[in-house]
Amino acid sequence: MKSRILSIVLGLGVAFSLMLLASRAAMFHLPGNHQDYEPVQPIAYSHRLHAGELQMQCQYCHFGAESSRHAGIPPANVCMNCHRTVTAPLGAVRAEDELAQKEKRAPRPVVSAELRKLYDAVESGRPVAWTRVHSLPDFVYFDHRAHVNASVACQQCHGPVETMERVRQVSDLSMGWCVNCHREANRTGIAGRRVNASTNCSTCHY
Amino acid sequence: MEKHYWRSLAECENRGELAAAAEPEFAESPAREIEAGPSRRGFLKAAGFALAGGALAGCSRAPGEKAIPYAAQPEGLVAGRAQYYASTCGACTAGCGLLAKVRDGRPIKLEGNREQAISRGATCAAGQASILGLYDSYRLKQPLAGGKPATWEGVDRAVLEKMERIRAGGGAVRYLSETVTSPAKQAAIDRFLAQFRDARHVMYDAVSASAILDAHERTHGARVLPHYRFERADVIAAFDADFLGTWISPVEFARDYAARRMPPNMSWHVQFEGRLSLTGSKADRRIRTAPGEIAGRLAQLAAFIESNGAGGDDLAARLLQARGRSLVVCGVNDLDAQLWTNYINHLLGNYGATLDIERASLQRRGSDRDLADLLAELKQGQVAALFIDAVNPVADLPGVAGLDRIGLFVSFAGSVDETAERAHYICPDHHYLESWADAEPVAGLVSLTQPAIRPLGSTRAAIETLAAWSGHPAKAYDLIREYWKDRFDWDRALEAGFAEVPRTHAAAPRWIGRKPAPPAAATPGYAVDVYAAVGMPGGRHAYNPFLHELPDPITKTTWDNCALLSPAAAASLGVGDGDILRIEAGAAIEVPLLVQPGQHDQVVSVALGYGRKASERFANLGPRWINHKPTINANGRVGANAAPLLAFEHGLLRYQRGGAVVAKTGRRIELALTQTHHTLSVPKHLAPAGGEVRPIVREIAPAELGKPEHAETHEELWPDDHPYNGHRWGMAVDLNACNGCSACVIACQVENNTPVVGKDEVRRRREMHWIRIDRYYSGPPEDVRVAHQPMMCQQCDHAPCETVCPTLATVHSDEGLNQQIYNRCVGTRYCANNCPYKARRFNWFDYPREDRLANLLLNPDVTVRSRGVMEKCTFCVQRIQEAKIEARRNGAPVRDGEIHTACEQACPAGAIVFGDLNDPSSRVSRLAHDARQYRVLDELNVRPSVHYLKIVRDEKQQGEKHHG
Repeated sequence: MKSRILSIVLGLGVAFSLMLLASRAAMFHLPGNHQDYEPVQPIAYSHRLHAGELQMQCQYCHFGAESSRHAGIPPANVCMNCHRTVTAPLGAVRAEDELAQKEKRAPRPVVSAELRKLYDAVESGRPVAWTRVHSLPDFVYFDHRAHVNASVACQQCHGPVETMERVRQVSDLSMGWCVNCHREANRTGIAGRRVNASTNCSTCHY
Repeated sequence: MEKHYWRSLAECENRGELAAAAEPEFAESPAREIEAGPSRRGFLKAAGFALAGGALAGCSRAPGEKAIPYAAQPEGLVAGRAQYYASTCGACTAGCGLLAKVRDGRPIKLEGNREQAISRGATCAAGQASILGLYDSYRLKQPLAGGKPATWEGVDRAVLEKMERIRAGGGAVRYLSETVTSPAKQAAIDRFLAQFRDARHVMYDAVSASAILDAHERTHGARVLPHYRFERADVIAAFDADFLGTWISPVEFARDYAARRMPPNMSWHVQFEGRLSLTGSKADRRIRTAPGEIAGRLAQLAAFIESNGAGGDDLAARLLQARGRSLVVCGVNDLDAQLWTNYINHLLGNYGATLDIERASLQRRGSDRDLADLLAELKQGQVAALFIDAVNPVADLPGVAGLDRIGLFVSFAGSVDETAERAHYICPDHHYLESWADAEPVAGLVSLTQPAIRPLGSTRAAIETLAAWSGHPAKAYDLIREYWKDRFDWDRALEAGFAEVPRTHAAAPRWIGRKPAPPAAATPGYAVDVYAAVGMPGGRHAYNPFLHELPDPITKTTWDNCALLSPAAAASLGVGDGDILRIEAGAAIEVPLLVQPGQHDQVVSVALGYGRKASERFANLGPRWINHKPTINANGRVGANAAPLLAFEHGLLRYQRGGAVVAKTGRRIELALTQTHHTLSVPKHLAPAGGEVRPIVREIAPAELGKPEHAETHEELWPDDHPYNGHRWGMAVDLNACNGCSACVIACQVENNTPVVGKDEVRRRREMHWIRIDRYYSGPPEDVRVAHQPMMCQQCDHAPCETVCPTLATVHSDEGLNQQIYNRCVGTRYCANNCPYKARRFNWFDYPREDRLANLLLNPDVTVRSRGVMEKCTFCVQRIQEAKIEARRNGAPVRDGEIHTACEQACPAGAIVFGDLNDPSSRVSRLAHDARQYRVLDELNVRPSVHYLKIVRDEKQQGEKHHG
C-alpha cells in the first residue's frame, strides 16, 4: 500500500516536472552547444545602433579580423574615437537643449549612464570585462583572417548582428556546421571566386 | 659484413637477439594502473558526480568566459599576432642573437637571429630552455635584507650607509662576477669600484678558459681568447675540447664545423679525449687520452711538426699539409697544454687564419688566479665588502670560506641560491628577457638585448643598482645608450639586434712566445674529470626541468649526473649501472655509476652543475599517483655537486686531476636512462618475410659518395588514390651534419607544450618528447663509433597508425601530414603499438600544470593535451597553418624556407630541412633526391616523408692508432 502511494507521488512529480520543462524543450542543447546564448554585457552596447543604423564597418572596431586569428574586442580607446564627442544619445542631448532654452540657461553636458562606464574605464585604465559570446573549445583553432580574406561575410557565421540590440550566438558553431560550409564553399566558391576551404582535420585541430 | 649497431652494452653483448627490442611499446601492463586506481565506492561516487555534472552542463547556458580588451591598446599590437623582438641570449656568455616571440604580451619562444654572427639562426638546448627562467616562480619578486622582504629604497639606504663606512675605513671591496660581456656594464662596475681605495673586480667562469687566456698572455703579450674559426679549418685537432657541445661558443662552432663537413669536401677532425664527448662522437678519429697525457701528446705533435713530419703520424702530416688551414684547440685548463697548443698553432701559421686574435673573443675573460687570490682573502677575513653578480661560488667552487666575516655582502642573484642565502642583501637582477642590455661577444660585434616583457616582479637591473650606488642613478636604457652614444645607429641596431663597431684593439698581438718546456709526467691512477654536460652546461640552469629531463646526447641519462667509467674499469671494480661510487680526489663525493663505452679506462668523469639547491623544488615533480617516486635523490636534490673535486693548482682551476680513488659503496639507485627506450630494431625472427632487415642508421665511405643505391620497388597493398595536389610536406635530416646537441628536442618541447614527466616516469619509458635523438654505437665497446639520429613522427604515406585507430583520431591530410586529432582520441594506444618508429607518446596523466606562472610559457597555438590522449610530432602544423594563411592573405604562394619547424629552426648544424616535396626546387626536394638519401625502415613500405642522409665516414681511417 505504502509503496503504491509512493509510486503515485513519484509519478505525479515526474509528470509535473515534465510539464514545466516541456515549454523549454526547444531551448535544450547538447552540452557544449551554446546556440542562442545572449548574455547581458557590462555595457548595454547596441550593435543595431552602431552597425545597423549608423552603418559602421564591422572591422572598424574588430580590426584584428583581417590580420589576426582573433577579430578582437575593441579596446576602450577605439570607442573614444567617437565617444570623446558623442556622450549621450541624440534624443537626450536635444531634450536637454530644449529644456535649457526653456529655462534660459546654457545646456548642461549630458552623459549617458552606459557611456559613463566607458569613461570610467578609460580614466581608471581598468578595461571593460565583456562577456564572451562566441567561444570555441580549446582544441579548435579558428582563424578570422583566413575567412575575412576569403571574403566570407561576417554575417555568415555571426548572423544579422546589425539588427541585434544585444549579441546572440546564432549558429551552433558545431564541427558539422563548419565542415558543411567548407564543402559548400569549395563547390560554389565565395563571391564568385574559387576557394580552397580545406577539410583536413589539422586545418582546425592541432 | 654488415655493420652491427647497438645502443646499450647489454644489447652489444647480446648480438643478434636484441633483448630490448622484444620489449613491448609500453613498459608496464595496464593492469597495474587499474590496480592502483580508485575503489568501487570511489568509482560510484565519481560516476554519480559525472552524471550530475553532465546533466548540469546540458542545462548550462553560460560559459561565463570574459573577453577583456586593453583599456588603451599599444600601437602596433594586434591580439593573437606574434611579435618578434631582437635580443641576445643570456643563458651563457656566448652571446647568441635571438628573436623572442611574444604573443599577447608574453614571450613564448626563442628563435635564433639569422643575421647575427654568433647565432646565425640557431640556439643550443640551454638557450632554448632559458625562457622558462622568466616564468620561474622561485625568482625573487623584491629585494631581501637579512633574508626578509625589503624595499629598494630601504636596501639602497642601508647599503650606501655601510659603503660610506667602508670608504672611510679603506676596507677591501671586491666585485665577483662571471665574464662580463657587456661593455656598458663593465663601465658601470668600474665606475662603482672607483669610489673605493682598495677595490677589485674579479671574474670567473664556471667552466674556465683561464689557461687559454694566460697562455696567450705569455705567447702574445695580451690576455686574449682567440676567436676560433672552424669554418676555415681543413684539419682540426681537438684535445679535450667539446666545442660542439659546451666549449666557449658551441652554437657558433657547431654551425661553422658543420659547414665544413658537407661531403664531398669534408674537413678532417681528430679528437683526443678521455670521456666520449659530443665532439668526439663526430670526429673522424677519436683517440682515447687521459687528461694527464694531453700535454705530452701536444708536445709530441709539436716535435713532429718541428721536424717537418719526420717520424710523425698521419695527423702531423695532415696538419703540415694544411698550414694556415688547420686548427688545434685544447680545452684543458692547464697552462702547459695551452702553451703547447699555441706553439703548434704558431708553427702551423694558424694565427690570423683560423685563430683570430685581432678581433678576439670576449666570451670568457675570467681569471682563476684572481679568483684564487680572492678566495684566500676571504678565508683570512680581509674583505670588507663583497658584491656577487650572476655567479654562485659556494656551489661552483671548492673551499669557499670566510663569507661570514664580510662586513657587507651583497648578491645580485635572481633567486636565493647557495651563495645568496648567506648574503646580507639580495638585490635581484632582471631575467635577461626583461632587461635592457648589451653584449660584445666578439670584439667589434655589439649585440643588444631589449625587454620582451615588463619585469614580472620588483626587480632591478644590476647596472641600475650599480649606478644608484655610484651616486648617479640612471635607467639601464639610458646607461646603455649613453655608453654607445654615436657609435652606431641605435634604432637600426635595435631592430637588427646587433651592430658592428670598429674594433678596439689597435693592432693584432704578435707572437712573442718561445718553445714551451717539456710537460710534467702524468700522475698514475684514476684521473677524475669534471665536465660540463650538454644539457646542463652549468649550475645556473639547475632550476630548469626541461634541461634535467633532456637525455644527455651521449649517456642518455636524465635527472642525474653519473660517474662515467669504461666497461673494463667497471668490471674491475665489480660494479654496474646505478651502483653508487665514492670518488675521492682531495674531497669525496658519491655518485651513481654509468658504464660508458668509449671512456678511457683510467678516467672517471662527473658532470658539474648538479646537486644544486635550485633542484630541491623537484621533490614533487611529476604525476602524483600511488606508485609515484620522487625525482630527487637521497640528498634532496637532483644529482650530486662535483665542485668538491675541483682544485686550484698553479693559479688555475683544475677540472681534471690524477690520483683519484674510486670505490663502491654497496648502495645503488635506478637511473633514468632512455638509451633503450623506443627501440626501432626488430628481432630477426619478427622481420617481415622475405624482407631483409636493414640498419636504421646508414653510413657511406667517402669513396662511395655519389653512387646512388638502386631504387627499390615495393608491391603496393594500398590503392594509389591519395594525390597530393597542393603541398606535400616533407623533411630531410642530414645525419652527417647532426651532432646530437639536442637543441631541437627542447625547441620542440617549448613550441609544442610538451610536459615534463619527472624521473620516475622516465624510468617507466613515459617521457613525452616528440623528437628524440637516438644514439647508436658501433664497434667494440672500448672504442666505439657513434651515430646520432633525430627521430620523430615520419608522417608516413601508408601510416600503420592510421589503419588501426578505431575512432579515426589519426588520419592523413591531403598535404601528406599524418594528423593526430586529440579531441577524437580515446586512448586505445593501438597506434603507438603499430608505429614502427616508436614516435607516439601517450598522456598517462594530466601532467601537473599547477604553476600558473610557468603556464604563461604555453604556446596558445597548440592544444594542451589531457590525460588519455595520444600525441606526436605534427611537423609543427601550427606554423604551417600560420604561413599558409599569411601567404594567402598577402596573395603570394608559400615560398620555400618560409616555414621552419621548431626543430629545424633551432638546429645549429643545419641538419634538419623542412619543406614542400611537391616543389622540385625546394631544398627538401633536392635533398630527397640526394645520393646519400635513404628512408628508415624502407623495407616496411610505409613510405615515410622524412628522408635521412647517410653519415659519411671512412672506417679505415678510424680506430686508435699509436703515434710514431
